[in-house]
Amino acid sequence: MTGSKTLGLLGKKVGMTQIFLDDGTCVPVTVIQAGPCKVLAVKMATAAEHPEGHRSASMNLGKKRGKQNKPRSADGYYAVQIGFDDKPARSCSKAELGHNKKAGLDEGKRLVREFRTEVAPTEKPGDEVTVSVFDGVKHVDVSGTTKGRGWAGTIKRWGFSRQPASHGNSLNHRTGGGLGRNQSISKGVPKGKKMAGHYGVERVTVQRLELVKVDAARNLLFVRGAVPGHNNGYVEVRRTVKRERVIIGQMKAKKAAAAKAKK
Amino acid sequence: MNILRQLELEHMKTTIPDFGIGDSVDVHYLIKEGDKERVQLFAGTVISLQGGGTRRSATVRRLVSGEGVERTFPLHSPRVADIKVRERGTIRRAKLYYLREREGKATRLNPNLGRLQYPRSGKGSGLQKPEAPAAE
Repeated sequence: MTGSKTLGLLGKKVGMTQIFLDDGTCVPVTVIQAGPCKVLAVKMATAAEHPEGHRSASMNLGKKRGKQNKPRSADGYYAVQIGFDDKPARSCSKAELGHNKKAGLDEGKRLVREFRTEVAPTEKPGDEVTVSVFDGVKHVDVSGTTKGRGWAGTIKRWGFSRQPASHGNSLNHRTGGGLGRNQSISKGVPKGKKMAGHYGVERVTVQRLELVKVDAARNLLFVRGAVPGHNNGYVEVRRTVKRERVIIGQMKAKKAAAAKAKK
Repeated sequence: MNILRQLELEHMKTTIPDFGIGDSVDVHYLIKEGDKERVQLFAGTVISLQGGGTRRSATVRRLVSGEGVERTFPLHSPRVADIKVRERGTIRRAKLYYLREREGKATRLNPNLGRLQYPRSGKGSGLQKPEAPAAE
C-alpha cells in the first residue's frame, strides 16, 4: 500500500555500517534510533472527534474571567503530534510544559512534529509510538537537515564543471563563468542564476529507501543507503509516498522462477 | 557502548583465525553452481588487510599459471566459510603491493617461525559476542 498520510516516527541518525544478508549480499545501511515517541496531541477535523477527556481544556482568560474550561474547537485536519528525545523541564517554556502535561508528561521533547493522517487517528495524547508503526512497510522516506557546507562555490553547490587547468587559463579554474548576455538582447543577470552561496543545512527528503531490518527491542531501523544529515542528527521517517520498489533479491527470484516456467 | 560498535560486534564472526599480512592462507569460499553450493578454495598470500569491524576485508594474491590473481574477501561475509593459515611470513610493510611487480621466486616471503604462535597482539581473536536483546 502506498500512502503519504500515515503516522511516521521521529529519530536520530546513529550512523552507517554494512550488514550481510543470509545469501551473502552486503547491504550498506544507515542505522536510525527511531522512537519511542510520545503522542503529545491529536488534531481532529471536527471538534466532536477529539478523544474522551481531551474535548475541553482549561484556559486562563485573564484577571476578570479567570480560569475556564473551554471546549476544543475543530482543527480542520487529522494529524498526530509526536515528540522525541527528552528535554529537561528546566529548559522548557511554561507553554511547552503545559502542552505536554496533557499527554501526562512533566518534561519537554526536543523534537516535536505533526504527522497528517487520512482518517481520524486512534492514538490519544500520552500514547507511545514505536517502530511497530512500520510493520509490513518495506520502504520509507527519510527527512533530515543536511550537513552545512558554509559558503560554497558553484562547483560544489550546483555541480558546475571546472574550467581548464591550463591552455592559457588565467585564474579562472573554479569560477562560475558567464552570467548572462550583453547589449540590447540583455535583460541583466537572469533570475535564479546559480551562483556561489550558502549550501547545506536545508531540509531534504530521501524517498523510497528500503527498510532492511527493524530491531523492535532497541527501537532501531536499518535503512538501505544514506540519509541526510550528520550522525546524531534528527530525522523524520515515514512510509514512502512512492510506489514500493521491487527488492533486488525478490526480482532475482522472480526472474529465476520465470526462467524455470519457460523450461 | 556505542550502538554501532555493539551492532557490528553482533554481526561479526568469532571464528576468524588471527592471521596477518604476509601469511599464506586458504580461503574457503562458498560459491553457487546452479542450485548447489560448494566450497571453492583460494590459496594465496595476504597482501592487504583493510577496514574494521564487520567491514574488515583481506586481499589475497596468488599466481595462476604465471598470472597474478587477487581477490578481496569480506572476512565477516557468510560466503567466507573458513580461513586456514598455512604459513606465516616475515614482512616489513603494511601492504605488500610490491609483490605485484615480482614474478616466480621473488614473490616468496621469508617464513616467520617466531610468529607461528599467535595471537601476537595478546588479545587474539577471543572475541566475545554480545547477546542481542530478545525482541519483545
